[in-house]
Amino acid sequence: MNASSKKYLRLRIVIVSAFLFLFLLTIGARSVYLQIMRREWLASQASSQVVREQVRVGKRGAILDRKGHEMAVSVEATSVAAYPLQISDATAAAPSLADALTLDAESLYRKISTARTFVWVKRQVTPRELDAVKRLNIKGVDFITEYKRVYPNKTLAAQLLGFTGIDGHGLEGLEFHYDRVLIGSRRERLVHKDALGRSIARAGTADAAGMRAEAAGGSIMLTIDHTIQYITETALEQAVAEFNAASGVAIVMDPETGAVLATACVPLFNPNVFGRYPEATWRNRAVTDSFEPGSTMKIFTAAAALSSGCCSPSTIFFCENGSYRIGGNTIHDTHPRGWLSLQQIIKYSSNIGVTKVIETVGAETLHSVIRRFGFGDQTGIDCPAETAGMVAPPSRWTRIDTGAISFGQGIAVSPVQLAAATAAIANGGRLMRPYVVDALIDSRGQVVERARPRLIQQAVPPETAETVKRILKTVITEGGTGVSAALEGYSVAGKTGTAQKIDPDGTYADGRFVASFVGFAPADDPAVVVLVIVDEPRAAHYGGTVAAPAFRRIVHDTLIYLDIPPDQRKTDLRVSLEKGVRG
Amino acid sequence: MSTARKSTIWVWILVMAAFLGELLFYTWCRVQSVQIGYEIAEAGDYRKKLISYRNNLAIELASLKSPQRIMEIARRRLDMVMPTAEQTIVMP
Repeated sequence: MNASSKKYLRLRIVIVSAFLFLFLLTIGARSVYLQIMRREWLASQASSQVVREQVRVGKRGAILDRKGHEMAVSVEATSVAAYPLQISDATAAAPSLADALTLDAESLYRKISTARTFVWVKRQVTPRELDAVKRLNIKGVDFITEYKRVYPNKTLAAQLLGFTGIDGHGLEGLEFHYDRVLIGSRRERLVHKDALGRSIARAGTADAAGMRAEAAGGSIMLTIDHTIQYITETALEQAVAEFNAASGVAIVMDPETGAVLATACVPLFNPNVFGRYPEATWRNRAVTDSFEPGSTMKIFTAAAALSSGCCSPSTIFFCENGSYRIGGNTIHDTHPRGWLSLQQIIKYSSNIGVTKVIETVGAETLHSVIRRFGFGDQTGIDCPAETAGMVAPPSRWTRIDTGAISFGQGIAVSPVQLAAATAAIANGGRLMRPYVVDALIDSRGQVVERARPRLIQQAVPPETAETVKRILKTVITEGGTGVSAALEGYSVAGKTGTAQKIDPDGTYADGRFVASFVGFAPADDPAVVVLVIVDEPRAAHYGGTVAAPAFRRIVHDTLIYLDIPPDQRKTDLRVSLEKGVRG
Repeated sequence: MSTARKSTIWVWILVMAAFLGELLFYTWCRVQSVQIGYEIAEAGDYRKKLISYRNNLAIELASLKSPQRIMEIARRRLDMVMPTAEQTIVMP
């Protein structure tokens, strides 16, 4: 090799070396740029491919009865969702997806071919539908775990419990009223997924179990006892069916505390499939609706008369032999009566008798006592959409209005008001606030708040309540309007009610009545107050015939269930001497 | 080849082996970490399934204990009735 060749070779080596050095330098510079200058951007790009944000709503809390039996619980259910931008062939995917999920293919195609990033395909699918969709293995279709509300006792206390919508929010009843307590909190968390979509647990991401425990909603424990609820619903259903009635309402209440042990509305509905039932059946009519109470109001008229000091149970009034004219109106009694004492007026349920009583006592006193028993005000029960009923001011009462209100026409009360007011007679005159939720429980099962019985006010003195109680016991005795409510072994006090309904034109309707019975037992130491209302019975319409037998069934089975010992020895069979006792 | 050069080569071989060993160990750790991540995720899914199964069983139990069913069995199958007041004996 000559000198020039060697020189040329060296030059080539230098050039190649320089080129390689520059190449390495460029790579190095690029590496520094990517690793240092663009580090965060690159890291986020990498994360976006493996880390997905997942929104989870915690499990909704349960609703339990007073003994801890589940009345409403949440279970996991899978929903099918789609990311339309990731679906490569919506035309092919739509028919197969629609077939697997029993959906309309055309509307599904419209849904998954939009430019939106996320759409629900079908919420809370069945396991069979889920398997069918999984088998299709369509890219862009995702499965999201949600919670589905289940009511294991089906129709039991359905109107009280209410139900939730597809998004897990309460729509009716206690589910609606206590939604803030029951609902689980909404949490967002990062989930690592590989290229195949498999989850990878990573340190620093939310632990699934921990998140669920933290985000779960609280539970509520009711004062309702599911056995008493069943007894009440069964008896009410029987009464409604037997008398071919339009509907019925019943309440069982603890008179000492105001705790509601059962509240039933017939027709029943199943909250698991609430959409299949008419909306009118969803309402808890024990709280939301008012009605003219009829003769059950005489309990409070008697209390007004006794507390005013104008009358005693033995004060007598002339009952005009069944027909009493006030101005242009005439008040009738079903059975003509002459002179009756206040006690007998209540026992025989004489409209003319109570009208005479209240003419002696005065409208102002009646109004004042009615208001003290809570009529015209919401009771404050922890249920939504409570009605206050309607009590007009006495300044607007005419003479006939005063008479009509004294026997329960021209006034509107809710079933829960009537039950609470009767409980005040049973417990010595104390009007207690009715309540249905006994305790709030957090997601760890700890009681965070327990309801305490709350006195609204002393409605009448204890002596007055005791006297009214004695009068109400006579209603159940021979000749009284409530003999069908009499129980073997237990003393009962109560009052029948039969109210004519009002037509849309404002006049009283022929042949449309509300039959009711309200009372308590054992009469001397009441354990339960029971109200039964049967709306528009057709086979018969008197409270003593329609509602009293249902009252008896509820009280008998409930007292036995509660282990309340009989307070009376065997009594003679009691029968009504009158066939059609209006009361 | 001189002894000094030989020892330099051995040093380099050892250093490279150490680096290679570290690389392999690091890779093994990463693979194990991902694998254990999969296993934890699978165990989490299995736990969720078991919890869901337990919840479903609890609902089934609640349905079985419903008063409708108990009363139906008591009355229809076992011919039981509510006791009357006379049949109730109060223990002193």
